[in-house]
Amino acid sequence: MKIVVCIKQVPVGAVKIDPETHNLVRSNVEGDINPYDRNAIEAAIQLKEQAGGEVILLSMGPDSYISSLRDGLAMGADSAVLLSSRAFGGADTLATAYTLAAGIKKIGNVDLILFGRQSVDADTGQVGPIVAEDLAIPQITFAENIELHDHNVLVVKRLLDSAVQEVKVTLPAVVSVRAELNQPRYENPLNIQTSFEKSVTIWSEKDLDLDNSQIGQAGSPTVVRKVYAPDKATKQMEQLPTHASKAVTQLLSELNN
Amino acid sequence: MNNALWVYVQLNGQKVEPTSLQLITKARQIAEGRPVVALLAEDLTTNAEETVKEYGPDEIIVLKDDHFTQPTDGELADALFQVVSANTPNGLLFPATVQGRSVAPRLQAKLRTGLTADCLDVYYDGEDLIQVKPTYGDDIMCEILCPDHRPQMATVRPNTFNAEKVTGANVKITTATFTFHSEANIEVVSEKPIISSSANIADAKIVVALGRGADNDKTIALAEKAAAKLGGMVGVSRPLTDNPKFSHESQIGQSGNTIAPDLLINLGVSGAVQYTVGIENAGKVVSVNTDDKAPIFAVSDFGYVGTANEFLEALVNDIK
Repeated sequence: MKIVVCIKQVPVGAVKIDPETHNLVRSNVEGDINPYDRNAIEAAIQLKEQAGGEVILLSMGPDSYISSLRDGLAMGADSAVLLSSRAFGGADTLATAYTLAAGIKKIGNVDLILFGRQSVDADTGQVGPIVAEDLAIPQITFAENIELHDHNVLVVKRLLDSAVQEVKVTLPAVVSVRAELNQPRYENPLNIQTSFEKSVTIWSEKDLDLDNSQIGQAGSPTVVRKVYAPDKATKQMEQLPTHASKAVTQLLSELNN
Repeated sequence: MNNALWVYVQLNGQKVEPTSLQLITKARQIAEGRPVVALLAEDLTTNAEETVKEYGPDEIIVLKDDHFTQPTDGELADALFQVVSANTPNGLLFPATVQGRSVAPRLQAKLRTGLTADCLDVYYDGEDLIQVKPTYGDDIMCEILCPDHRPQMATVRPNTFNAEKVTGANVKITTATFTFHSEANIEVVSEKPIISSSANIADAKIVVALGRGADNDKTIALAEKAAAKLGGMVGVSRPLTDNPKFSHESQIGQSGNTIAPDLLINLGVSGAVQYTVGIENAGKVVSVNTDDKAPIFAVSDFGYVGTANEFLEALVNDIK
């Protein structure tokens, strides 16, 4: 089974706002794999252990994203592809997904595309479904259990808002996974060492079959008008006594008033 | 192209997802004269328009087909696309539920328009629908708009707005023309309601919330006891969703639930913005933390500096 796992590098620590462009400034900020994407990598490796095949990591971003791809390779993925170019900059979810879909087509003969449920920075969870639409294949989002039934059939348990759904899909398909699906494995020293021998391929827009009006800022319908720190509605707090039982007694009597 | 503001009405089984009703009320408040249209896809045995019309949209557009009992995301997006693209409304709001967050981007990709996820507010500035959403990091909010494409799409977080019924509204009900296309290679085998769905943290009147500073078995057990005695529920901040005892369903804050209890007791919650954004609608807020400088105290009515365990033991003792 040929599995592509789409991952995103997310900032760790403080993020600043560029006063000119109103974009978030992510440079000079340490990055790490989006935590939910580790669940997707784990799911891919487990499926490979059952069915054979290969696990390819795919990301779009600057060359500094290679460090996150190396982390994913150290978990046990086989190779990685980074879509990197100034032309991809300023992409929203629509343009990002379009570009990733072009990368997946170029990789070719992909059976399964896995995503984490959402990123912890932008929190959209939109890219997976858009990629599925762009590739015209089925999607199953928010998977909490994945069973391999045949070499190309998955039965996926999906937790909806007030129901559990069981969905059967014949590959190729896009699946996004919940953190509840699995416990991502740690990178062991041997895998970290071998990760540096695995290939990381970099493709720009010249390597992909793309409509340039659909990528980067030009291909992004949404515009960030303003980024700001919200006024925090601070409250006038009453400090309770340091003695716990006195604190609780005072609290309960005031709440009952 | 028309100037209407559309709201997608999600069904959970035959029941209307409350967020959709909240969004109809919100749409009526912000529409500035634009018609508010509810978009509903249901099977032949469901009659959700009876519920929806009580909330006073100007029109309900109904897609009727028996496949809507258990559609795939792709099938739903395809059917909605036929109706949305035939009308191209000004705006289209979805609940930021599992279904909304799965179907809306698929529909967006068909429409090649913009979609903003998990908004905490939406309002019009001229023709632009301003979509306000929080973003990770240093207390950051974004205002996002979609100037050149229609519809302007957003998913909006559940329980951010109140749903209000409207008496005597004149609601036009229209049956949509479309063709249901079954999606190849995918089949919804079964769908079983979750029995405990009535006990939703977002609807709880009293919440006892646990943060990183309360992640141990003793505190969790005490918190559960206190919550039970108070008739409330236990919620957690994101770090505790890594504890197998808890899941995303009990998570409070960004990427979790927005809660609006009458009483919230925070234990060992530091008060990062990703958390506090989810408790803005809470009534009385009590916070317990060993760090007297914890940011959570700035959004609290009552503060106790000390350990969660000593506070909880006293609380469990005192509640009759």
